[in-house]
Amino acid sequence: MIRVLFFGPIAAATGEREVPVAHVPGMTLGNLKESLAARYPDAMHLATMMAVNGEHVRDLSLLLADNSEVAFMAKFSGG
Amino acid sequence: MKPSVRIQQEDFSQDEEIKALQASSKRMGGIATFLGCARDFSEGREVSEITFDAYGSMALSELNRLRSDAIAKYALLDARIVHRIGTVKGGENIVFIAAGAEHRVAALEACRWMIDELKQRVPIWKKEITPQGESWVTPHP
Repeated sequence: MIRVLFFGPIAAATGEREVPVAHVPGMTLGNLKESLAARYPDAMHLATMMAVNGEHVRDLSLLLADNSEVAFMAKFSGG
Repeated sequence: MKPSVRIQQEDFSQDEEIKALQASSKRMGGIATFLGCARDFSEGREVSEITFDAYGSMALSELNRLRSDAIAKYALLDARIVHRIGTVKGGENIVFIAAGAEHRVAALEACRWMIDELKQRVPIWKKEITPQGESWVTPHP
């Protein structure tokens, strides 16, 4: 299972903070993003930043291991 | 003594943070600080309060990395970063950054670098609450 996390504007747009997604062998970050974009079309266009297990990631071809924690994040506005 | 990097709901004391920084080394000849505050007016609207959401574990680890990077890049003797989350009212404190170095230039440059990097690297989001409604803030330079 992949733990997908949403925060701030994306959590508001999806109405969810955490979504479990079944892991499929060979699944990439891009695959996951596409499936979430189909499920949350009004939210995922905000996802300009991504993190896997708490580390910034840009490579959509990254293979996701089972039990990964993946965050799709809007541009940060702290400070 | 409180940790050098913190994310917390409650307000912080600039004096306590500066004293903690000074206590770390007697070689410190310059301390530069940045205090970010909540404005009560933004984009032509009154703002009554701001709420912050964060990816807590990642935000804390990124802030710690940011502090370590700043210490290495500017040869700082020490640095501290405190960021509030939750609800902050207009005029209240949001973030405090302090950089201590042997000389002023490194401290000033490091302080500026840390707040600029924080805005790029640390997963925290700001929502402004106004009489007309609420909206997530779109970052600007």
